[in-house]
Amino acid sequence: MNKTKAKVAKAKTKKILNVLITYCILIVVAFIFFFPCLWLILASFSKSGSIYSFDGFFPTEYGFDAFKSLFTDTVMYNYPKWFLNTLFIAVMSCILGTIFTILTAYCMSRFRFKSRKAMMKTTLILGMFPSFMGTIAVYLMMTQFNLINQHWGLILIYSAQAPMGYMVQKGFFDTIPYSIDEAARIDGASNFTVFVKFILPMSKPILVYTALTAFTWPWSDFILPKMLLVDKDLYTVAVGLMSLGETEFARFAAGSIFIAIPIIILYFCLVKYMINGMAAGAVKE
Amino acid sequence: MANLSLKHIYKVYPNGTKAVNDFNMQISDKEFIVFVGPSGCGKSTTLRMIAGLEEITAGELKIGDMVVNGMEPKDRDIAMVFQNYALYPHMTIFENLAFGLRTRKIPDIKRDKKGNPVLDKNGKEIPIMRKYNKQELSEKVNEAAQILEITDYLKRKPKEMSGGQRQRVALGRAIVRRPKVMLLDEPLSNLDAKLRTQMRSEIVKLHKKLQTTFIYVTHDQVEAMTMGTRIVVMKDGCVKQIDTPKNLYRYPANKFVAGFIGTPQMNFFEGTLKKNGDKVYIDFNYSDAKVTVPYTMLMKTTPQYLDGTKTVYIGFRAEDLTLDEEQVAQSTTKIKVRISHSEQLGTETLVYGDINMDGDGFAETSTRVIIKSKGFKDYQPDTVCEAALNIDAIHLFDKETEESIMPRIPEYNYLDCSVKGGKITFFGNTVELPAAVKCAEGNGELLIPVSAIRFNGEITAKVIGCEDVNGQILVSLDINGSRLYALSSEILENGEISIGLDFKKLIIKIGDTENQPMPEVNSLNGTFVMQKELETVECKKKKVPYYYLLINGIKLKAPAEIYEKMFSATTGRKVYNSTYRYEWTPYDFTLSEGGIKAEVEKILDYGSEKFLKCNADGETLYVKTDKNLSGTVYLIPDVSKVSVIETERQIRIL
Amino acid sequence: MKTAQKIKSFFKDIPSKIKSIPKRLSVRFAGAKEIITQGNGKVAASMLVMGLGQLLYAQWAKGFMFFIIQIAFIVYFVLTGATDLFGFFTLGSRESNAWYGVDGDNSVVMLIMGILSILIIILYVAIYIANVKDAYRTQCAADTLKQPTKFKKELGSLLDKSFHKTALALPVVGVCVFSILPIVFMILIAFTNYGGDIVPPALVDWVGFENFGKILSLGQFAPTFFKIFGWNMLWAVLATAINYFAGLGLALLLNKKCVKGKVFWRAFPILAYAIPGFITLLGFKFMFSYGGPINYYIQQGGGEAVGFLGLDAKWTARFIGLAVNAWISIPSTMLLATGILSNINTDLYEAARVDGASAWRQFIKITLPYVLFATTPVLISQFIGNFNNFGIFYFLRGGLYVDGYFLASDTDLLINWLYNMSIDNNYYSIGAAISLVIFVITSIISLTVYVLSPSYKQEETFR
Repeated sequence: MNKTKAKVAKAKTKKILNVLITYCILIVVAFIFFFPCLWLILASFSKSGSIYSFDGFFPTEYGFDAFKSLFTDTVMYNYPKWFLNTLFIAVMSCILGTIFTILTAYCMSRFRFKSRKAMMKTTLILGMFPSFMGTIAVYLMMTQFNLINQHWGLILIYSAQAPMGYMVQKGFFDTIPYSIDEAARIDGASNFTVFVKFILPMSKPILVYTALTAFTWPWSDFILPKMLLVDKDLYTVAVGLMSLGETEFARFAAGSIFIAIPIIILYFCLVKYMINGMAAGAVKE
Repeated sequence: MANLSLKHIYKVYPNGTKAVNDFNMQISDKEFIVFVGPSGCGKSTTLRMIAGLEEITAGELKIGDMVVNGMEPKDRDIAMVFQNYALYPHMTIFENLAFGLRTRKIPDIKRDKKGNPVLDKNGKEIPIMRKYNKQELSEKVNEAAQILEITDYLKRKPKEMSGGQRQRVALGRAIVRRPKVMLLDEPLSNLDAKLRTQMRSEIVKLHKKLQTTFIYVTHDQVEAMTMGTRIVVMKDGCVKQIDTPKNLYRYPANKFVAGFIGTPQMNFFEGTLKKNGDKVYIDFNYSDAKVTVPYTMLMKTTPQYLDGTKTVYIGFRAEDLTLDEEQVAQSTTKIKVRISHSEQLGTETLVYGDINMDGDGFAETSTRVIIKSKGFKDYQPDTVCEAALNIDAIHLFDKETEESIMPRIPEYNYLDCSVKGGKITFFGNTVELPAAVKCAEGNGELLIPVSAIRFNGEITAKVIGCEDVNGQILVSLDINGSRLYALSSEILENGEISIGLDFKKLIIKIGDTENQPMPEVNSLNGTFVMQKELETVECKKKKVPYYYLLINGIKLKAPAEIYEKMFSATTGRKVYNSTYRYEWTPYDFTLSEGGIKAEVEKILDYGSEKFLKCNADGETLYVKTDKNLSGTVYLIPDVSKVSVIETERQIRIL
Repeated sequence: MKTAQKIKSFFKDIPSKIKSIPKRLSVRFAGAKEIITQGNGKVAASMLVMGLGQLLYAQWAKGFMFFIIQIAFIVYFVLTGATDLFGFFTLGSRESNAWYGVDGDNSVVMLIMGILSILIIILYVAIYIANVKDAYRTQCAADTLKQPTKFKKELGSLLDKSFHKTALALPVVGVCVFSILPIVFMILIAFTNYGGDIVPPALVDWVGFENFGKILSLGQFAPTFFKIFGWNMLWAVLATAINYFAGLGLALLLNKKCVKGKVFWRAFPILAYAIPGFITLLGFKFMFSYGGPINYYIQQGGGEAVGFLGLDAKWTARFIGLAVNAWISIPSTMLLATGILSNINTDLYEAARVDGASAWRQFIKITLPYVLFATTPVLISQFIGNFNNFGIFYFLRGGLYVDGYFLASDTDLLINWLYNMSIDNNYYSIGAAISLVIFVITSIISLTVYVLSPSYKQEETFR
């Protein structure tokens, strides 16, 4: 009798210990992930811009100067303009890139045409190439097409390269039973109708996932814009912020927060879709 | 509301596997057809080919009077219910049902805004096609929903419903359009046992109510037996048997069907049969069991199995064996069974045992036996008792081919005969042999195909019974006390009748020699070509295509419909590239200039008919003739009667 | 064993495969043969002038469409296509000369335009074949005494039967021009002498495999290449392993039943995930810089400022790189693993608990195999991503050249070296050759991993 009691008690302490350790780890993890962000936020509110005047992680004086200069002092660094540029490029590439990627994935998942296998293998192999060597070619091509120093040039590249990453989306479409397509086709729907009226409404998670990745890529990319954009007024935020020095740290932090916030909000609203989309897409290769 | 006709339907995958192999069936209106078989037998593929979801490799599929081979599923006027329901998850039940109606148009006449017909210049109504309006939609949907009792759920989404309800919706979606044919692909296999039984009877009820042709695919033989008016048993892409549930159960055509239909599975023993006088001794292998039965009970058995050397499968269903002491006492056919265990099922008990006293009764061997006995009864393991066999219900199968060796329509009548001086004697009748039949003299065996007996001639016989076997009428004849089977086109009255023999089909075995019957078809290899010829059509010169069968360098003009059939059967592309085997019966040839050149080798005189045996470039042809010809002849076959086989994939096209 | 057998049978099959080539070819070209032998005059007309056959069959719209395509192609070919194609082979012959005011050929642009013209020719040939096939199909339809398909109906089929053609047209063109063409360009550059002094306006020429020889033999490149390659492999393996297992562990931790407020705890990693990568990297660079907060505390504590990312900070810099990469990448692995874990059948765990398996055993025997199975493709792409992780050291330590390395630092990965050489220092052809080598390495590794992975070996186990 006593033995079992002892056993139960032991199990109980073990359980409590387990919970304690779990929470300890969680707190440490949370700290690790949160602290750098907190640091950036604090830095953005520092009165003096330079990183050298900080008290360790913490600014000596707080104020809104960095934000003020970010939006008013636009002679050297035209942040509002950069922000709008980035938004324009990201939104347009997001729309076009999502459409292309989803269409490609749907076709690869649902149609059995002659060159399908060849196309899938090609994209798989091409994906393994270190991509930016090609950027030289892209640059030269853009000069030939007269698209240097133009936002549409960037949008064109981003949306044209997006379908290369169709595999996750294809994996998701593969999980939607074919019989739904077949039922719809017997009911008289064309393939286009099947896609628009059945597949799309059922694929919200993957649509969100695709749109989000198609949005964040141009939003935070710096290689292409740095190469293709010459005018400072046409810069995207990524290129612009990189041109800031260590003495402008507060401004950098403030600018970073502004560019991070939209994405963070988007992610938090859509995290459920993200998880579902990623998981469904990953399970099948 | 439609007949279906499937002719030589094949599904061949690019790697050469034949998922469906020469499927032939006529389905009449309002039938409830069940395709049943183990997974991978091609039943679903066949159904999907009917639906148009899978391309037909070769063959002709007709729904109603229309060939639908290349037609889109939506144009075939069919509906399908899927195993996983395939409901549209983002739509309400109402929308699920209504979608099929929304995409379709119905004929109407042009109307103005008030609904009055608009007339054209001649005062006639103008026919148009229009979509269903809201009111019609909800009427139709509600009607279907009422039939399936899902009216209360119309506003819900599929997610909020149980499996059974979802299946009702799936059925509702199928019936709302009132299709010509309903196709159901394992619709109940995702439901639990109780719901399955319930839905089973509801689907049967639905079939009665709708008066539509149903085609139902299942792997569950109980479902097949309880629902179908006719059942198609399939295995490895081939049709094993097509028949009514009753006939499948009573007259399985092969061991597969016998084992597949009925629970518990039929008991199969290996054994030999030996005929001695009017008795047949059945000897069970791996066991001491032996029974003796009168030959009359095994009359239809193919005689070559009765010599005691060939091993056959002997099948008895569990209910055709009994342990009931009274019955065992009366029975003359008993075997010893050592009981291993039993399963109590309430109304009956399944007793497992072994006719080999060393067998364990668990593993499925050729000595294990399952016996059904009524009521609760405890059987002690390891007791040995006697079981009575119901010989009327015996099933016999060849060990290699697994085909029944006592088919409902036997292929041949086997009888003893003696040949002497150009005359043959059998069953006390002596008949003159025609000149074409060449055989040795002496005593031997005569094989008369059931189709080789004509109902006129010099032999008198007595009709003692007629049996309708799937449209063919099998006549039992009695000649001087011996039994003979014949096929007839109509039911014959019992009594005296005169019969004759079709000598070209007979096989006479004397000693080691036997004569060759004449083959029923002549086959020739060739290709298919198209040629354009200038012609004046409606006063214009036009190139008109003509089609030809090219055989041994001779072109035979073929009607366009043959081309179309071959075109649709081979998906067009291959028609001109493939080689074909063309087949004709000996009656389809005429002798004329410009035909296929052949050398006459022999004239076969069968008395009433004469045939030429010719050699056409290595192929032997038999041709019906009236004249005695020799030397070179030219043969023109009747192209409209040709049957065609594509040699490369071994596919019968026509 | 099995692989060995497969290889053996592969070699065994070679003779029979070679023997069957004529037959297979004849099967492949059976369609062409059929069209040539069976096609009528109108099909021949279509072969000569695209669309003519269709026009003769009174299929006006389609015929004109094909016809216009042919005209457009001819115009293109005459105006620029032919010279482009020619330029692809010569890479220019006229050197520019400022003294004499001669406008020379730009070899690199000629190379690109040459590739583009080849792509366009391929596209044209494809359309041409489609045109001939279509004409033949029309002939067949007319021969069977049926009406040729109406153009309207064929347009309709673009949204139904051949919807994939419509849907894929733009993506395929886009991928061809902006993904395939640059890669082909890069591959071809590896076989030229483009770079160094030889950049336009100087003329570039084909040199064959010279560049690959240089990487392996030349004193400049070879030592650097092998040093960097070694570190690159180590980095890729470590980074992938850390991210993968830490991400999986985090997901498991958050999946625990005792954890309350999962949404709250999950928010922190997602925060890190959502911040654009370059901000994080620049932020960390500031953090570890000489005047940064960490050095501030070290100095406060009486120590000397440490150059964490400075010239001689080999291993600290590498370690910081790994840590920062983990900070950035773990959250995405966590999200993925969370999704996959929610798909595991919970019966498995219950069965394991009834059997008395410990939590650790459950993880080893159930969770890990399942997750590994489900994520092998992701794992491979993560490995390749890490192998080619350009951003980390570009931002943390960009632009540093260390002694003993040619145009690189001791933390640089091959891809960073590539960047330094080609973009910053004009060694284009060598850079292209190196990226080809990288490609070969990564594809071999990922293929091997994939073939050895559970998702390849036991495809059916978890389904």
